[in-house]
Formats: sequence, C-alpha cells, structure tokens
Amino acid sequence: MQAHNFKVKWGMVIDLDKCTGCGACSVACRAENNLPPEVDAGNKLRTADWMNIYELSNGKPFPEHEVAYLPRPCMQCGKPSCSTVCPVVATTKDEEGGIVSQVYPRCIGCRYCMAACPYHARYFNWFDPIWPEGMEKTLTPYVSARPRGVVEKCTFCHHRFNAAKEQARINGEDPTALPEDAYIPACAEICPTGAIKFGDLNNAEHEVSKIAASDNAFRLLAKLGTDPQVYYYSKREWVRKLGDNYLKNAKGEDHV
Amino acid sequence: MGLDRRSFISLVAGGVVGSLCTPVIWKTLDDVSIWSQNWPWIPRLNYGEEKKLATLCKLGGDAYGIKVKTVAGNPVTAEGNPDHPLSLGGICPLGAASVQMLYSPARIKNPKIKDGNNFKDISWDDAEALLAEKLKEAGAATAMISGDETGSTAEILSGLVGKLGSQKSFFMPAESAPAAAAVQMLGGDGQVGYDLENAGYVLLLGADALGSWANVARNAKAFAASRDKAVRYVYVGPAQNGTTAVADAWIPCAAGTEPLLALGLAHIIASGRTSYAPGFADFERYVQAYQPETVAAATGVPAERIMNLAKELINAGRPLVLTASESGHGLGAYEAAAGMCLNMLLGQMNAPGGVRILPWAPKVVESAAEKKDLLANDLVAYLTAVADGQEDAPKVLLVHSANPAYALPNLNKVQSALDKAEFLVSFSTFMDETAVMADLILPDSYALERLDDSYSPYGAPQAIYTVAAPVTKPIYDTRAAGDVLLSVAAKADAELGFESFEAVISAKAEALEAEIDSLMEGTPWVSEEFPTQDLAFWSSPLKEIAVPAGAEKSVSLSVVTHLKIGSAAIATPPFGTNAIRFDEMKGKEMYVQLNAATASSLGVKKDDRIKLANAAGECVALVKIFEGVMSGTVVASLGFGHTAWDDFSRGKGDNIYKLLQAEAEPGTGVSRFGSAQVTISKA
Ligand code: SF4
Ligand code: SF4
Repeated sequence: MQAHNFKVKWGMVIDLDKCTGCGACSVACRAENNLPPEVDAGNKLRTADWMNIYELSNGKPFPEHEVAYLPRPCMQCGKPSCSTVCPVVATTKDEEGGIVSQVYPRCIGCRYCMAACPYHARYFNWFDPIWPEGMEKTLTPYVSARPRGVVEKCTFCHHRFNAAKEQARINGEDPTALPEDAYIPACAEICPTGAIKFGDLNNAEHEVSKIAASDNAFRLLAKLGTDPQVYYYSKREWVRKLGDNYLKNAKGEDHV
Repeated sequence: MGLDRRSFISLVAGGVVGSLCTPVIWKTLDDVSIWSQNWPWIPRLNYGEEKKLATLCKLGGDAYGIKVKTVAGNPVTAEGNPDHPLSLGGICPLGAASVQMLYSPARIKNPKIKDGNNFKDISWDDAEALLAEKLKEAGAATAMISGDETGSTAEILSGLVGKLGSQKSFFMPAESAPAAAAVQMLGGDGQVGYDLENAGYVLLLGADALGSWANVARNAKAFAASRDKAVRYVYVGPAQNGTTAVADAWIPCAAGTEPLLALGLAHIIASGRTSYAPGFADFERYVQAYQPETVAAATGVPAERIMNLAKELINAGRPLVLTASESGHGLGAYEAAAGMCLNMLLGQMNAPGGVRILPWAPKVVESAAEKKDLLANDLVAYLTAVADGQEDAPKVLLVHSANPAYALPNLNKVQSALDKAEFLVSFSTFMDETAVMADLILPDSYALERLDDSYSPYGAPQAIYTVAAPVTKPIYDTRAAGDVLLSVAAKADAELGFESFEAVISAKAEALEAEIDSLMEGTPWVSEEFPTQDLAFWSSPLKEIAVPAGAEKSVSLSVVTHLKIGSAAIATPPFGTNAIRFDEMKGKEMYVQLNAATASSLGVKKDDRIKLANAAGECVALVKIFEGVMSGTVVASLGFGHTAWDDFSRGKGDNIYKLLQAEAEPGTGVSRFGSAQVTISKA
C-alpha cells in the first residue's frame, strides 16, 4: 500500500520508565472524548478504552521479577491495517499530520478494522451508551457521542489539533507549523509523571523526534511494518524486547 | 426471525467486491449506517464559553489544586493545576474522574431521616431543628469523626463538639498522625512534610509515593524531575507496585517489617559515629539490638543488602527516608519514629531535601480541639471500646467526609459501635455505607459545588493554604456542611462565633496574613517559614519493635491502595471502572496476588477462587499469579466490596478492611493495623 508522506507527523513517545500505571490518562481520555461510564467494566470483551493500560512482566520468578506498565492509545500507523480493510472509507489516513480518522456516521459496524488492527486499539459499541441521569451534562463539546453499532478509537484528541490550528490562524501564525506545546492530547497533558510526550515527529526541534531517534525508543510490533506514530521508550532491555512480542491476553482471555 | 444487523452487513460487505464503482453501493451503505445506528436518544452536546476554574481535589488522602473545565457553566473535565504547588499540572485518577462524580447515582439529593429500614425526606429546616434538639439533649455525649484533616469544616465540627463539652473529636486514621507522633518523640512540634523536590536520594519504606502515598501528583512531578538529576528512588516493601515499576530498585521486605529495617539501618549508620546530638548515645545503645542478621531474619532482606543500603544512605547527599504503611494507614507511632530517627541520623530533620516541620494550621474556632490533639485521638480504639462496652456510646455521632462503616479495621466492632450510637448523623455527599446506617443525613454539597479550604495536607513541603470557590451551584438540594453546622450550633445554643463558613475562611486567612481575595481567585498562600525545633534523639525512649509472629500456615497480607479503585472516603467513581485492568477484576470478582511458589505451596492456581481468613473476618478473591510478590505474602487492594454507593462499585470484589485487626502498639497504645496474617483456602 502507498503510504502518505506528510510534512507534519504527530506522534507520541511514552516513557515506560516513568509510567506507574496509575490510570489517570485513561480516565482523562474517557472524559475528554465522551466515552460513557461502564458499570460492567469487569467484562473486558464489551468495554471500550481508547487508552488502555497493560502490565508488563519480565517473565522471571520472584525475586528477579520486574514490572512495567504500558499505556496503549491508537498507534496512528503510517501504514494502517484498519483503513485498508474498511469497506466504506470510514477510517482513513489522508490528513496532514497523519492522524488516522474515524468517521462515525459512515461506519457500518462490520468490525473488519478491529480484526485488522494488531494493537487492539479499536472498540465496538455493543450497546447504546448510557450516562447516569444528568451525567450527560458533563459531555464535552468536542466529540459527538457514538451510538451502538459503530467502531471507535483514540484520535490523538483530533479536536485539540483543530483547536490549535484555529488558534494559530487567529494569532496570525502558520497553522501548518504549530509549536510543540500548541497541541497536546488530554492524556499527555494530565499524566502526573509526564510519561507521555507529544509533538511532530518530523520536526527536529520537537522533543518527540529526538527521543524517537534514541536507541532506547521502540515501537510495538515494529516487525509488522505498520509504521506506528506512537513510540515507547525504556532503558530496560526486557521492556524493549517485549515491544515486538504479541501481547498475550491483551484484552482478557481472547479478543473479539 | 428477520435479518439481523450483523448478517445484513456481511451480506452487503460480500457484495462490495466489484461494485465499488456504482453509486448504488454508497447510497445503500449510507442507508445501512443510518438504519444500524438508529438511536432512541441522542445526547446533545453543550456548547458555550469555556473556562478553567481552580478548585481542590480531596477525594484521595491528599488535598491538592486541580482545574475544572466548564463549558457554558457546566463542569466537563478535570486536569492538574500547574500553578498549585501540590499538583504542578499533575492529577491522580480520582481527580481525573471527579467531575462526573457530580452526577454519581450515589448522590444524596436532599436531607433524609431514617424511617424503619428506609429513609424519608425531611426539609432542611426540620432536619436542622431536629439535630439541634438532639445535640442539646446529648451535650457532652456528642462525638465527631471527620475524614478531612485539612479543611475548616472539621474544625467547625470539633468546635461544636467541644462547645458541648466533649473531647470526642476524631480524624479517620491516616499517615499524618503517626508521623506527627514520631516528630513529637524527637522533641519536635508541628505538621510533617517532606522536601522531596530537593532530596538527593529517596528511600521509600513502604511509602507508595507514586501510587497512593501523601501528595501523589506532586510526588510524581518530583520523581519525574529527579530522572534528570540522577536521584535514586529505592522502594522497600513486600510487593511491586506502580512505584517500583519506575523506581531504581525494589528491595523485597516482609509486609509491615519496614520499620525494623529502618532500625537495622540506623544501627549500622550510628555505630562508630560520634554525634553531639542530644540523646545520641542512648539511641545508639538502643539500636544495637537490631543487628543486620536479626533484621535480615525478620524482614527477609539479606544482611548484605542491608549493609549496602546503609552505605548508599551514608554516601548520598540529602537522603530522605519516607516511612509508611503500604495501605496508607495503620502505622504505629514507634514505627514511624524508627524511620524518622533515620532522617535524624542522616541530618535531614528540618533541612532542605529532608523532613520539614511546618507550623500547625491556625485555629480560629475557639472551642475546637488543637489539630495536634485531634491527630492523637485514636478513633479505632474509641469505637472498639464503645463496641466492647468499655466506653459509653455517644448519644449523637456526627460523621463528615468519612466512611467509618467501610474503611476501618475491627470492622465488625466499628459497625456495632456506629449502631450503638443513639443518633448517627451523616454529612456524606454520597450514599456510602455509613450514610446507610445513619439516623439523619444532611448531605454535604459536592466538592465542586461548595466553598472549601485546605491547609497543608500531610507531606506538603511547606505551609500552603488553598481556598476553592464553588465551580458550580449545587445541583440538588444539598448544603455545605460547614454552613449547616454553624447554623445548627446556633440553634443548639452552642454559638461558635461565626455566621458562615466563608467567615471562618476569612478568619483563617487573616490569621495567616494571607490575602483573601487572591485566595478566593484560586492562588494558594505559601509560606517558607519553618519554626525552629529543639530535636533530640531520645526525648521519649523507644520501645522495642517486636517482629509480628505469624500463625502456622498463615500468609502475610500486604494491603495496598489504588486510587483508581477508590479511597477510604470514595468508592470507585463511574469513570474509574475501566481503569481497573482485566488482571485486577474479572466480572465482579477481584484478584489478589501471589507468586507461583506461594500459590503452589498453598495448592492454589491462577483464577482459583480462594478464601482469605483470620480472626477478624474473611474475604473471597481470585488468584492472580504475580512474581513481584515476596514468598509467603498475598497482596490485596482496598477499595472493593462496597455494599452501598451505586452499581459502579457495589457488590464488586470484597472489602479487605474485614481482615484488618488493630492492635494497641506497646508503649504508645496507638492502633496499628498496617498488615495482617491470613490463612488461604479454596472457596
Ligand atoms: S497517567 Fe501517566 S503514569 Fe498514569 S498510567 Fe497514564 S501514562 Fe502512566
Ligand atoms: S490522544 Fe486523546 S484520544 Fe488518544 S488516548 Fe490520549 S486522550 Fe485518548
């Protein structure tokens, strides 16, 4: 497949040597992007978490054991497996910045994209979302609520990208050359240890492009050739090695 | 049976091939998406002016500044407050889920009075009049419990109780009380804080600093900054957690024995040293009992590792030792003192990068107990004595910002003591386990709906006073507890000298010489003044800390707190459920962690349903095999097993507090309950 060449490539570097697995990013993402609260979140086959956190183990017994946590947003792949299989062009990679889109009104719920995504980053709305009485007043104005029957995923908080461009236009600046801190997704903004860094991977000035070039940076399942725009960073070799392993039990016992 | 959505779509999808060029397919697919997305109710998004308002998050054990985004006046999301010294832009998972708690189904919408096994509504006027009447009758037989150590509401409560002639003012147990007691043993006087930002080496003795201990958001920021400065973070405890996932080293140490390790380290550091600090000689003699081999046997930390750790501390510039119980409470006073002595030995008391002793918050309600005394009052001991009939049950018991019916050790006794209270009054915002037992509920407005304040929570490195103006009007018929209490006090002829909660806050600001207007706008008042302290090693002699003797075939229970699951005061918020991983909860059952060797010695395996039991009670859980746990130890998280609240937390997992049994610490009498022994069997 022909990959686009974007001038700006938004990307994330998640420093696994700083992530404590606290879950704040996942909660903030839910609020920002209007995912409904879920009563039965114990059944991971039916839940949605755009930002999901996995526990990693070096696989050794006590006392040699080590643990790390890995937050997993959508990888915004350079060569996305999902958009190529979508029969209705509901998910595309064609906008400057390289964010993989998800157009809810177009989605017919066939879930081919979910089967295609090697990162389990996509979620299906099995039910109409329900907010407890009154809680719908806390919906943000940024992202429409999704009905049952469509697939959704992390968008790098695309609305924040739009808002940053808009602000740049208002300020008389170039919206195609946003500075590093003009556009920050919700998860990156709130992470208490600052584990999530965000910026333009094509811009040598941006911190993410520097960290992504480090020997300690890696991408998940890089061998598949999906060319993710999400990088991870760890000085621990075992963590980096796990990056190329299939995440066993990534979403519970098996994956729907 | 008609054509369902799935088969219909596969039918359509099957027909896609070869027909992409005709417009028909696009029209059909468009129709499909409309048919398949038919929705009985579409939530409308609110648009309007966006603002970010500063407020406080007190949902965990901390009290720190956050910002709430409002759209057209409606709060929508929460984020850290870069301008608050205890957030610095960071937020905890409870804070991140705090806005949606406004509409939690567990909210109590108006005052209620017990009616048989149910509640019926009562007006505010009638409720206040009734409470005033009860208070007049009860007089000195009134008691109070608060879970908020930092705010003025607790001071008003204590003031009211004091005015009625009672000394029975209590805080829920936390880390602050043993730390303050420890500083007192060294001759100091003040609230305890830690200058993490300037520490050169951080030894965490059971303190899950990045997960649940003290000022989590600010700890995380300090940790992140330390990564560029080669500051080592070493965690000592029975199991790996979020802190060990990023700390430089994990030293496995049997649950609850971290203070013994502290004394072992103190022995190595003290021996051969000459110090002119008062009491050093006595102290050095005392720690001689804690030889590396003795400590190694009790803690499971090899003697060599203890020696190396001592060396690291000696060689590090500005080392800081943080001692805690993994669960966030239940540490004994001597145990806290053991860690505090290490800081003293290392010259880190009242020093930059070390322990900071802050002035106590000024008290403005005259009849209220001093915070120092409030911290020293032992709630667990009191309620246990009430249950056992050794102490009279209170005629009126006022409970604010606390859920003692769920979050205390000796839970059966606590519940029976609450039951014995003649008139139990809950000021809870949510229908928690204590509110369910109450005779009268006067619902406090939610944090975002009321004026609130906070003076340095435990751990804060300097005196900080924060005032939070309401972000929104109360949604339901609730009132701020501070105002209600002042009004009830007046009606009960126990005037506290203030007309409103706002007046109390103004008085406090004045006492601190802080600018009330800028406080109200969200700018905290910060002071870098630290009263001089006269510290000595041996102001009050330390008693020997004994090694907890485990019963045959029992396993040590390490109790932990994960804020995403909840805190002592708050059950899992609606927006917190998904952050609980599949290896933490399955369906409605919670996991506890054992390593494979322990599991096989107990004859249990992954996903087995087991019963954890001891004299205090029993809990049921599933087995998760996790090698980051010491052998002979089981790790269980607090926060599950609610019986009240709402569907987001009720009936999920089991309440580990049932397994916690308090024992009086020899010498101080302080209720200790940080860890426990349990037996494990298949359920
Ligand atoms: S908020 Fe930060 S530390 Fe917490 S889980 Fe997310 S990435 Fe990790
Ligand atoms: S970038 Fe935005 S949508 Fe993606 S995980 Fe982070 S908060 Fe969620």
